[in-house]
Amino acid sequence: MNPDKQDTANRSRVLEIDHLKKNFKDTKVLKDISLILNKGENIVVLGKSGSGKSVLIKCVVGLLRPDSGEIKIFGKSITNLEHRELDGIREKIGFLFQSNALYDSMTVRKNLEFPLRRNIKKEGRSEIDKRVKEALTNVGLANTADMMPSELSGGMRKRIGLARCLMVNPEIMLYDEPTTGLDPITAEEISELMVDMQKKYNSASIIITHDMKCAKLTATEMMVLIDGNIYAKGTYQELSRSKDKKIKSFFE
Amino acid sequence: MTVRSYFQNFIIETGEVSRFAIRFFKEVFAPPYEFKEFLLQCYNVGCKSLPLVGVTAFIMGLVVTLQSRPTLVQFGAGSWLPAMASVGIVREIGPVVTALMCAGKVGSNIGAELGSMRVTEQIDAMEVSGTNPFKFVAVTRILATTIMIPVLVLFADSLSLLGSFMAANIKGEISLSLFFNQVFQKLVFLDVVPSLIKSFLFGFTIGLISCYEGYNSKKGTEGVGRSANAAVVISSLLIFVIDLIAVQLTNAYGNQ
Repeated sequence: MNPDKQDTANRSRVLEIDHLKKNFKDTKVLKDISLILNKGENIVVLGKSGSGKSVLIKCVVGLLRPDSGEIKIFGKSITNLEHRELDGIREKIGFLFQSNALYDSMTVRKNLEFPLRRNIKKEGRSEIDKRVKEALTNVGLANTADMMPSELSGGMRKRIGLARCLMVNPEIMLYDEPTTGLDPITAEEISELMVDMQKKYNSASIIITHDMKCAKLTATEMMVLIDGNIYAKGTYQELSRSKDKKIKSFFE
Repeated sequence: MTVRSYFQNFIIETGEVSRFAIRFFKEVFAPPYEFKEFLLQCYNVGCKSLPLVGVTAFIMGLVVTLQSRPTLVQFGAGSWLPAMASVGIVREIGPVVTALMCAGKVGSNIGAELGSMRVTEQIDAMEVSGTNPFKFVAVTRILATTIMIPVLVLFADSLSLLGSFMAANIKGEISLSLFFNQVFQKLVFLDVVPSLIKSFLFGFTIGLISCYEGYNSKKGTEGVGRSANAAVVISSLLIFVIDLIAVQLTNAYGNQ
Protein backbone atom coordinates (compact mmCIF):
# COMPACT_ATOMS: atom_id res chain seq x y z
CA MET A 1 0.00 0.00 0.00
CA ASN A 2 1.07 3.56 -0.67
CA PRO A 3 2.58 4.97 2.59
CA ASP A 4 0.21 7.97 2.54
CA LYS A 5 -2.81 5.72 2.19
CA GLN A 6 -1.46 3.46 4.96
CA ASP A 7 -1.10 6.49 7.21
CA THR A 8 -4.67 7.66 6.51
CA ALA A 9 -5.97 4.15 7.19
CA ASN A 10 -4.14 4.02 10.53
CA ARG A 11 -5.43 7.41 11.58
CA SER A 12 -9.05 6.50 10.90
CA ARG A 13 -8.62 3.15 12.64
CA VAL A 14 -9.89 3.62 16.19
CA LEU A 15 -10.02 0.05 17.43
CA GLU A 16 -8.22 -3.12 16.46
CA ILE A 17 -8.81 -6.51 18.05
CA ASP A 18 -6.30 -9.20 17.21
CA HIS A 19 -6.86 -12.91 17.98
CA LEU A 20 -8.66 -12.24 21.25
CA LYS A 21 -9.23 -15.20 23.57
CA LYS A 22 -11.11 -15.27 26.86
CA ASN A 23 -11.95 -18.23 29.08
CA PHE A 24 -13.98 -18.45 32.27
CA LYS A 25 -12.58 -21.41 34.20
CA ASP A 26 -13.00 -24.29 31.71
CA THR A 27 -15.45 -22.53 29.41
CA LYS A 28 -13.93 -21.01 26.30
CA VAL A 29 -16.09 -17.96 25.70
CA LEU A 30 -14.10 -16.14 23.03
CA LYS A 31 -11.88 -18.44 20.99
CA ASP A 32 -10.38 -16.25 18.31
CA ILE A 33 -11.82 -12.83 17.59
CA SER A 34 -10.27 -10.26 15.29
CA LEU A 35 -11.89 -7.08 14.07
CA ILE A 36 -11.08 -3.56 12.95
CA LEU A 37 -13.27 -0.54 13.64
CA ASN A 38 -12.74 2.68 11.69
CA LYS A 39 -14.01 6.15 12.40
CA GLY A 40 -17.64 6.59 11.37
CA GLU A 41 -18.31 2.83 11.25
CA ASN A 42 -20.97 0.92 13.18
CA ILE A 43 -20.21 -2.76 13.63
CA VAL A 44 -23.19 -4.79 14.80
CA VAL A 45 -22.32 -8.04 16.54
CA LEU A 46 -25.05 -10.66 16.45
CA GLY A 47 -25.10 -13.79 18.52
CA LYS A 48 -27.37 -15.78 20.76
CA SER A 49 -27.39 -15.26 24.52
CA GLY A 50 -24.25 -16.54 26.22
CA SER A 51 -22.20 -16.43 23.02
CA GLY A 52 -19.75 -13.96 24.57
CA LYS A 53 -20.92 -10.75 22.87
CA SER A 54 -20.93 -8.74 26.10
CA VAL A 55 -17.60 -10.28 27.14
CA LEU A 56 -16.12 -8.94 23.90
CA ILE A 57 -17.01 -5.30 24.58
CA LYS A 58 -16.15 -5.62 28.27
CA CYS A 59 -12.66 -6.68 27.18
CA VAL A 60 -12.48 -3.63 24.91
CA VAL A 61 -13.20 -1.25 27.76
CA GLY A 62 -10.90 -3.08 30.19
CA LEU A 63 -13.59 -4.43 32.54
CA LEU A 64 -12.32 -7.92 31.71
CA ARG A 65 -8.76 -8.89 30.91
CA PRO A 66 -8.36 -11.14 27.87
CA ASP A 67 -6.35 -14.36 28.28
CA SER A 68 -4.46 -13.75 25.06
CA GLY A 69 -4.59 -11.57 21.97
CA GLU A 70 -4.33 -7.84 21.70
CA ILE A 71 -6.68 -4.87 21.78
CA LYS A 72 -5.42 -1.59 20.34
CA ILE A 73 -7.36 1.62 20.86
CA PHE A 74 -6.15 4.62 18.84
CA GLY A 75 -3.10 2.51 18.05
CA LYS A 76 -2.21 1.87 21.72
CA SER A 77 -2.40 -1.61 23.16
CA ILE A 78 -4.56 -1.67 26.29
CA THR A 79 -4.11 -5.28 27.33
CA ASN A 80 -1.36 -4.62 29.85
CA LEU A 81 -2.09 -1.03 30.79
CA GLU A 82 -2.12 0.23 34.37
CA HIS A 83 -5.42 1.54 35.77
CA ARG A 84 -4.53 5.21 35.39
CA GLU A 85 -3.39 4.89 31.78
CA LEU A 86 -6.51 2.87 31.03
CA ASP A 87 -8.69 5.62 32.54
CA GLY A 88 -7.13 8.07 30.08
CA ILE A 89 -8.27 5.91 27.17
CA ARG A 90 -11.67 5.27 28.74
CA GLU A 91 -12.36 9.00 28.63
CA LYS A 92 -12.80 8.62 24.88
CA ILE A 93 -15.11 5.60 25.11
CA GLY A 94 -18.82 5.57 25.89
CA PHE A 95 -20.37 2.34 27.19
CA LEU A 96 -24.14 1.94 27.26
CA PHE A 97 -24.92 -0.94 29.59
CA GLN A 98 -27.78 -3.34 28.98
CA SER A 99 -29.31 -2.34 32.32
CA ASN A 100 -28.40 1.35 31.70
CA ALA A 101 -26.47 1.30 35.01
CA LEU A 102 -27.80 4.70 36.09
CA TYR A 103 -26.71 5.53 39.65
CA ASP A 104 -30.05 5.31 41.42
CA SER A 105 -28.98 7.28 44.47
CA MET A 106 -28.23 10.32 42.29
CA THR A 107 -30.42 12.68 40.23
CA VAL A 108 -30.23 12.63 36.44
CA ARG A 109 -28.01 15.75 36.57
CA LYS A 110 -25.57 14.11 39.00
CA ASN A 111 -25.56 10.98 36.83
CA LEU A 112 -24.60 13.02 33.79
CA GLU A 113 -21.99 15.01 35.68
CA PHE A 114 -20.39 11.90 37.17
CA PRO A 115 -17.93 11.16 34.33
CA LEU A 116 -16.83 14.82 34.42
CA ARG A 117 -16.90 15.50 38.15
CA ARG A 118 -13.12 15.76 38.42
CA ASN A 119 -13.22 18.50 35.76
CA ILE A 120 -15.88 20.67 37.43
CA LYS A 121 -13.27 22.99 38.99
CA LYS A 122 -11.15 23.08 35.86
CA GLU A 123 -13.92 23.60 33.33
CA GLY A 124 -16.21 25.68 35.52
CA ARG A 125 -19.71 25.04 36.80
CA SER A 126 -21.43 26.90 33.96
CA GLU A 127 -19.61 24.89 31.29
CA ILE A 128 -20.65 21.59 32.92
CA ASP A 129 -24.25 22.82 33.26
CA LYS A 130 -24.22 23.74 29.58
CA ARG A 131 -23.00 20.26 28.64
CA VAL A 132 -25.64 18.57 30.81
CA LYS A 133 -28.33 20.67 29.15
CA GLU A 134 -26.96 19.91 25.68
CA ALA A 135 -26.75 16.15 26.36
CA LEU A 136 -30.32 16.08 27.68
CA THR A 137 -31.61 18.12 24.73
CA ASN A 138 -29.83 15.72 22.36
CA VAL A 139 -31.84 12.81 23.72
CA GLY A 140 -35.07 14.83 23.95
CA LEU A 141 -35.35 14.87 27.74
CA ALA A 142 -34.40 18.44 28.60
CA ASN A 143 -36.69 18.74 31.63
CA THR A 144 -35.63 15.63 33.53
CA ALA A 145 -32.39 16.96 35.07
CA ASP A 146 -33.66 17.02 38.64
CA MET A 147 -35.56 13.73 38.53
CA MET A 148 -34.38 10.48 40.09
CA PRO A 149 -33.78 7.49 37.76
CA SER A 150 -36.57 5.57 39.52
CA GLU A 151 -39.06 8.19 38.29
CA LEU A 152 -38.22 7.51 34.64
CA SER A 153 -39.65 4.94 32.21
CA GLY A 154 -37.46 2.22 30.63
CA GLY A 155 -37.06 4.15 27.37
CA MET A 156 -36.25 7.37 29.20
CA ARG A 157 -33.64 5.61 31.31
CA LYS A 158 -32.03 4.26 28.14
CA ARG A 159 -31.91 7.79 26.71
CA ILE A 160 -30.37 9.15 29.91
CA GLY A 161 -27.82 6.30 29.81
CA LEU A 162 -26.96 7.39 26.27
CA ALA A 163 -26.81 11.05 27.31
CA ARG A 164 -24.36 10.14 30.11
CA CYS A 165 -22.11 8.41 27.57
CA LEU A 166 -22.24 11.44 25.28
CA MET A 167 -21.10 13.79 28.06
CA VAL A 168 -17.49 12.82 27.38
CA ASN A 169 -17.82 13.29 23.58
CA PRO A 170 -16.76 9.68 22.97
CA GLU A 171 -14.89 8.66 19.87
CA ILE A 172 -15.93 5.03 20.36
CA MET A 173 -19.39 3.97 21.54
CA LEU A 174 -20.05 0.47 22.82
CA TYR A 175 -23.70 -0.55 23.08
CA ASP A 176 -24.69 -3.67 25.03
CA GLU A 177 -28.13 -4.70 23.75
CA PRO A 178 -29.45 -1.13 23.57
CA THR A 179 -33.03 -2.05 22.62
CA THR A 180 -33.60 -5.13 24.78
CA GLY A 181 -36.67 -4.86 26.99
CA LEU A 182 -38.15 -1.90 25.10
CA ASP A 183 -41.36 -1.79 23.06
CA PRO A 184 -40.88 -1.76 19.24
CA ILE A 185 -41.62 1.96 18.90
CA THR A 186 -39.22 3.04 21.65
CA ALA A 187 -36.63 0.54 20.34
CA GLU A 188 -36.80 2.18 16.92
CA GLU A 189 -36.51 5.65 18.47
CA ILE A 190 -33.41 4.58 20.38
CA SER A 191 -31.87 3.07 17.23
CA GLU A 192 -32.52 6.30 15.32
CA LEU A 193 -31.05 8.30 18.18
CA MET A 194 -27.93 6.12 18.06
CA VAL A 195 -27.50 6.85 14.34
CA ASP A 196 -28.12 10.59 14.85
CA MET A 197 -25.56 10.80 17.65
CA GLN A 198 -23.03 8.81 15.66
CA LYS A 199 -23.38 11.29 12.78
CA LYS A 200 -23.30 14.30 15.08
CA TYR A 201 -20.17 13.22 16.97
CA ASN A 202 -18.59 11.28 14.08
CA SER A 203 -17.94 8.38 16.47
CA ALA A 204 -17.45 4.69 15.74
CA SER A 205 -19.57 2.05 17.46
CA ILE A 206 -19.78 -1.60 18.30
CA ILE A 207 -23.39 -2.57 18.84
CA ILE A 208 -24.24 -5.86 20.51
CA THR A 209 -27.79 -6.83 19.71
CA HIS A 210 -30.17 -9.47 18.51
CA ASP A 211 -32.78 -6.93 17.48
CA MET A 212 -32.67 -7.07 13.69
CA LYS A 213 -34.56 -3.78 13.27
CA CYS A 214 -31.90 -2.05 15.31
CA ALA A 215 -29.18 -3.82 13.30
CA LYS A 216 -30.76 -2.79 9.99
CA LEU A 217 -30.97 0.85 11.03
CA THR A 218 -27.52 1.17 12.53
CA ALA A 219 -25.09 -1.31 10.93
CA THR A 220 -22.44 -0.41 8.42
CA GLU A 221 -20.99 -3.88 8.94
CA MET A 222 -22.28 -6.97 10.75
CA MET A 223 -20.63 -9.94 12.40
CA VAL A 224 -22.19 -13.15 13.62
CA LEU A 225 -20.60 -14.60 16.73
CA ILE A 226 -21.11 -18.33 17.20
CA ASP A 227 -19.25 -20.57 19.66
CA GLY A 228 -16.65 -17.92 20.41
CA ASN A 229 -15.67 -17.36 16.79
CA ILE A 230 -16.73 -14.90 14.13
CA TYR A 231 -18.90 -17.13 11.98
CA ALA A 232 -19.77 -14.62 9.27
CA LYS A 233 -19.16 -11.00 8.29
CA GLY A 234 -20.86 -8.67 5.86
CA THR A 235 -23.34 -5.87 5.40
CA TYR A 236 -26.97 -6.27 6.51
CA GLN A 237 -28.04 -6.94 2.92
CA GLU A 238 -25.33 -9.56 2.34
CA LEU A 239 -26.10 -11.47 5.52
CA SER A 240 -29.86 -11.25 5.05
CA ARG A 241 -29.47 -13.00 1.69
CA SER A 242 -27.32 -15.76 3.17
CA LYS A 243 -28.58 -19.30 2.79
CA ASP A 244 -26.70 -20.56 5.85
CA LYS A 245 -29.19 -21.95 8.37
CA LYS A 246 -27.51 -20.42 11.43
CA ILE A 247 -27.38 -16.96 9.86
CA LYS A 248 -30.91 -17.21 8.45
CA SER A 249 -32.27 -17.95 11.93
CA PHE A 250 -31.33 -14.43 13.07
CA PHE A 251 -33.33 -12.84 10.27
CA GLU A 252 -36.50 -14.90 10.70
CA MET B 1 -21.60 -29.81 51.64
CA THR B 2 -18.99 -31.77 53.53
CA VAL B 3 -17.12 -30.51 56.59
CA ARG B 4 -13.96 -30.34 54.50
CA SER B 5 -15.46 -28.09 51.85
CA TYR B 6 -17.00 -25.88 54.57
CA PHE B 7 -13.54 -25.51 56.06
CA GLN B 8 -12.03 -24.83 52.64
CA ASN B 9 -14.64 -22.16 51.92
CA PHE B 10 -14.00 -20.58 55.30
CA ILE B 11 -10.27 -20.33 54.61
CA ILE B 12 -10.83 -18.94 51.11
CA GLU B 13 -13.35 -16.35 52.35
CA THR B 14 -11.02 -15.28 55.17
CA GLY B 15 -8.22 -14.82 52.64
CA GLU B 16 -10.47 -12.79 50.35
CA VAL B 17 -11.66 -10.54 53.19
CA SER B 18 -8.03 -9.98 54.22
CA ARG B 19 -7.15 -9.01 50.65
CA PHE B 20 -10.10 -6.62 50.65
CA ALA B 21 -8.83 -5.08 53.91
CA ILE B 22 -5.29 -4.72 52.53
CA ARG B 23 -6.68 -3.03 49.43
CA PHE B 24 -8.60 -0.65 51.71
CA PHE B 25 -5.42 0.38 53.56
CA LYS B 26 -3.56 0.82 50.26
CA GLU B 27 -6.23 3.03 48.73
CA VAL B 28 -7.38 5.03 51.73
CA PHE B 29 -4.20 7.14 51.80
CA ALA B 30 -3.70 7.46 48.04
CA PRO B 31 -5.21 10.45 46.21
CA PRO B 32 -7.65 11.36 44.74
CA TYR B 33 -9.81 11.54 47.88
CA GLU B 34 -13.58 11.18 47.69
CA PHE B 35 -14.23 13.68 50.49
CA LYS B 36 -17.81 14.64 49.53
CA GLU B 37 -18.94 11.02 49.30
CA PHE B 38 -17.22 10.30 52.66
CA LEU B 39 -19.18 13.12 54.34
CA LEU B 40 -22.41 11.85 52.80
CA GLN B 41 -21.70 8.36 54.15
CA CYS B 42 -20.87 9.80 57.62
CA TYR B 43 -24.30 11.43 57.55
CA ASN B 44 -25.94 8.16 56.44
CA VAL B 45 -24.18 6.09 59.09
CA GLY B 46 -24.14 8.59 61.94
CA CYS B 47 -27.15 10.91 61.81
CA LYS B 48 -29.59 8.38 60.44
CA SER B 49 -28.72 5.87 63.19
CA LEU B 50 -29.07 8.35 66.06
CA PRO B 51 -32.75 7.68 66.94
CA LEU B 52 -32.39 3.89 66.80
CA VAL B 53 -29.15 3.80 68.81
CA GLY B 54 -30.46 6.39 71.27
CA VAL B 55 -33.71 4.60 72.07
CA THR B 56 -32.02 1.18 72.36
CA ALA B 57 -29.26 2.47 74.61
CA PHE B 58 -31.70 4.35 76.85
CA ILE B 59 -33.87 1.24 77.30
CA MET B 60 -30.82 -0.99 77.92
CA GLY B 61 -29.51 1.36 80.64
CA LEU B 62 -32.92 1.45 82.26
CA VAL B 63 -33.52 -2.29 82.14
CA VAL B 64 -30.06 -3.34 83.33
CA THR B 65 -30.29 -0.99 86.33
CA LEU B 66 -33.79 -2.18 87.18
CA GLN B 67 -32.69 -5.82 87.03
CA SER B 68 -29.51 -5.34 89.09
CA ARG B 69 -31.07 -3.24 91.82
CA PRO B 70 -32.78 -6.03 93.84
CA THR B 71 -29.57 -8.13 94.04
CA LEU B 72 -27.44 -5.16 95.10
CA VAL B 73 -30.04 -4.11 97.69
CA GLN B 74 -30.13 -7.68 99.05
CA PHE B 75 -26.41 -7.44 99.79
CA GLY B 76 -26.83 -3.98 101.23
CA ALA B 77 -24.94 -2.44 98.31
CA GLY B 78 -27.76 -0.32 96.85
CA SER B 79 -25.56 2.76 96.87
CA TRP B 80 -23.16 1.04 94.47
CA LEU B 81 -25.85 1.04 91.75
CA PRO B 82 -24.55 4.12 89.79
CA ALA B 83 -20.96 2.85 89.93
CA MET B 84 -21.93 -0.62 88.73
CA ALA B 85 -24.17 0.74 85.97
CA SER B 86 -21.47 3.13 84.75
CA VAL B 87 -18.80 0.44 84.41
CA GLY B 88 -21.21 -1.98 82.74
CA ILE B 89 -22.54 0.61 80.35
CA VAL B 90 -19.25 2.22 79.33
CA ARG B 91 -17.29 -1.02 79.08
CA GLU B 92 -19.83 -3.33 77.47
CA ILE B 93 -23.42 -2.26 76.95
CA GLY B 94 -22.71 0.98 75.09
CA PRO B 95 -20.21 -0.36 72.52
CA VAL B 96 -21.77 -3.78 71.98
CA VAL B 97 -25.40 -2.65 71.73
CA THR B 98 -24.47 0.22 69.40
CA ALA B 99 -22.32 -2.04 67.23
CA LEU B 100 -25.02 -4.72 67.01
CA MET B 101 -27.75 -2.23 66.15
CA CYS B 102 -25.50 -0.67 63.50
CA ALA B 103 -24.53 -4.08 62.13
CA GLY B 104 -28.25 -4.62 61.56
CA LYS B 105 -29.15 -1.20 60.24
CA VAL B 106 -26.00 0.05 58.51
CA GLY B 107 -24.61 -3.39 57.59
CA SER B 108 -27.74 -4.56 55.79
CA ASN B 109 -28.05 -1.19 54.12
CA ILE B 110 -24.49 -1.24 52.76
CA GLY B 111 -24.68 -4.94 51.82
CA ALA B 112 -27.91 -4.49 49.85
CA GLU B 113 -26.93 -1.15 48.29
CA LEU B 114 -23.55 -2.31 47.04
CA GLY B 115 -25.03 -5.67 46.03
CA SER B 116 -27.63 -4.03 43.81
CA MET B 117 -25.02 -1.62 42.45
CA ARG B 118 -22.95 -4.65 41.46
CA VAL B 119 -25.77 -6.63 39.81
CA THR B 120 -27.15 -3.59 37.95
CA GLU B 121 -23.64 -2.88 36.62
CA GLN B 122 -23.39 0.52 38.37
CA ILE B 123 -19.98 -0.41 39.78
CA ASP B 124 -18.78 -1.36 36.27
CA ALA B 125 -20.21 1.92 34.95
CA MET B 126 -18.13 3.84 37.51
CA GLU B 127 -15.00 2.02 36.45
CA VAL B 128 -15.69 2.72 32.77
CA SER B 129 -16.19 6.41 33.50
CA GLY B 130 -12.69 6.65 34.99
CA THR B 131 -13.65 6.57 38.69
CA ASN B 132 -12.12 3.98 40.98
CA PRO B 133 -15.30 2.30 42.28
CA PHE B 134 -13.48 0.66 45.21
CA LYS B 135 -12.43 4.06 46.46
CA PHE B 136 -15.72 5.78 45.76
CA VAL B 137 -17.98 3.05 47.11
CA ALA B 138 -16.05 0.89 49.59
CA VAL B 139 -13.30 3.09 51.07
CA THR B 140 -15.71 5.93 51.88
CA ARG B 141 -18.17 3.60 53.61
CA ILE B 142 -15.56 1.69 55.62
CA LEU B 143 -14.02 4.98 56.76
CA ALA B 144 -17.44 6.40 57.65
CA THR B 145 -18.41 3.42 59.83
CA THR B 146 -14.96 3.35 61.49
CA ILE B 147 -15.26 6.99 62.51
CA MET B 148 -18.99 7.25 63.20
CA ILE B 149 -19.52 4.13 65.34
CA PRO B 150 -17.30 5.44 68.20
CA VAL B 151 -19.22 8.75 68.06
CA LEU B 152 -22.47 6.81 68.26
CA VAL B 153 -21.04 4.80 71.17
CA LEU B 154 -20.37 8.01 73.16
CA PHE B 155 -23.91 9.12 72.41
CA ALA B 156 -25.29 5.70 73.41
CA ASP B 157 -23.25 5.73 76.67
CA SER B 158 -24.74 9.10 77.64
CA LEU B 159 -28.33 8.08 76.93
CA SER B 160 -27.83 4.72 78.58
CA LEU B 161 -26.58 6.41 81.76
CA LEU B 162 -29.60 8.69 81.63
CA GLY B 163 -31.82 5.58 81.40
CA SER B 164 -29.96 4.13 84.35
CA PHE B 165 -30.58 7.34 86.34
CA MET B 166 -34.30 7.09 85.55
CA ALA B 167 -34.35 3.46 86.74
CA ALA B 168 -32.55 4.39 89.97
CA ASN B 169 -35.29 6.94 90.59
CA ILE B 170 -38.18 4.59 89.86
CA LYS B 171 -37.60 2.46 92.99
CA GLY B 172 -35.42 4.78 95.07
CA GLU B 173 -34.45 8.40 95.06
CA ILE B 174 -31.15 9.89 93.94
CA SER B 175 -30.32 13.33 92.62
CA LEU B 176 -28.84 13.78 89.13
CA SER B 177 -25.65 15.34 90.51
CA LEU B 178 -25.08 12.58 93.06
CA PHE B 179 -25.76 9.87 90.46
CA PHE B 180 -23.33 11.29 87.92
CA ASN B 181 -20.82 12.14 90.62
CA GLN B 182 -20.70 8.45 91.53
CA VAL B 183 -20.66 7.44 87.88
CA PHE B 184 -17.60 9.57 87.06
CA GLN B 185 -15.86 8.71 90.32
CA LYS B 186 -15.87 5.06 89.37
CA LEU B 187 -14.87 5.46 85.72
CA VAL B 188 -11.13 5.20 85.05
CA PHE B 189 -8.84 5.29 82.02
CA LEU B 190 -9.11 1.52 81.55
CA ASP B 191 -12.89 1.73 81.27
CA VAL B 192 -13.11 4.49 78.70
CA VAL B 193 -10.16 4.21 76.31
CA PRO B 194 -10.24 0.45 75.57
CA SER B 195 -13.97 0.78 75.04
CA LEU B 196 -13.40 3.49 72.43
CA ILE B 197 -10.63 1.53 70.72
CA LYS B 198 -12.97 -1.44 70.63
CA SER B 199 -15.65 0.77 69.05
CA PHE B 200 -13.29 1.76 66.22
CA LEU B 201 -12.67 -1.94 65.55
CA PHE B 202 -16.42 -2.65 65.60
CA GLY B 203 -17.02 0.18 63.12
CA PHE B 204 -14.21 -1.01 60.84
CA THR B 205 -15.53 -4.59 60.95
CA ILE B 206 -19.10 -3.57 60.08
CA GLY B 207 -17.88 -1.43 57.17
CA LEU B 208 -15.37 -3.97 55.90
CA ILE B 209 -17.64 -7.03 56.00
CA SER B 210 -20.69 -5.22 54.60
CA CYS B 211 -18.71 -3.65 51.77
CA TYR B 212 -16.95 -6.94 51.00
CA GLU B 213 -20.24 -8.84 50.81
CA GLY B 214 -21.98 -6.17 48.72
CA TYR B 215 -19.03 -5.47 46.43
CA ASN B 216 -18.65 -9.17 45.59
CA SER B 217 -22.37 -9.86 45.25
CA LYS B 218 -23.34 -12.39 42.57
CA LYS B 219 -26.36 -14.10 41.06
CA GLY B 220 -28.85 -11.27 40.62
CA THR B 221 -31.48 -10.30 43.16
CA GLU B 222 -30.97 -13.49 45.15
CA GLY B 223 -27.32 -12.51 45.56
CA VAL B 224 -28.30 -9.05 46.83
CA GLY B 225 -30.44 -10.63 49.58
CA ARG B 226 -27.61 -12.98 50.44
CA SER B 227 -25.12 -10.10 50.65
CA ALA B 228 -27.34 -8.09 52.99
CA ASN B 229 -27.91 -11.14 55.15
CA ALA B 230 -24.23 -12.15 55.27
CA ALA B 231 -23.24 -8.55 56.05
CA VAL B 232 -25.41 -8.57 59.19
CA VAL B 233 -24.72 -12.13 60.35
CA ILE B 234 -20.94 -12.11 59.89
CA SER B 235 -20.37 -8.63 61.28
CA SER B 236 -22.56 -9.37 64.35
CA LEU B 237 -20.64 -12.56 64.99
CA LEU B 238 -17.29 -10.81 64.58
CA ILE B 239 -18.37 -8.07 67.00
CA PHE B 240 -18.70 -10.73 69.72
CA VAL B 241 -15.37 -12.32 68.81
CA ILE B 242 -13.59 -8.94 68.89
CA ASP B 243 -15.33 -8.12 72.17
CA LEU B 244 -14.15 -11.37 73.70
CA ILE B 245 -10.55 -10.72 72.67
CA ALA B 246 -10.73 -7.06 73.77
CA VAL B 247 -12.02 -8.02 77.23
CA GLN B 248 -9.19 -10.52 77.68
CA LEU B 249 -6.59 -7.97 76.59
CA THR B 250 -8.01 -5.22 78.81
CA ASN B 251 -8.15 -7.54 81.81
CA ALA B 252 -4.62 -8.81 81.24
CA TYR B 253 -3.33 -5.24 80.96
CA GLY B 254 -5.41 -4.05 83.91
CA ASN B 255 -4.22 -6.81 86.26
CA GLN B 256 -0.54 -6.05 85.81
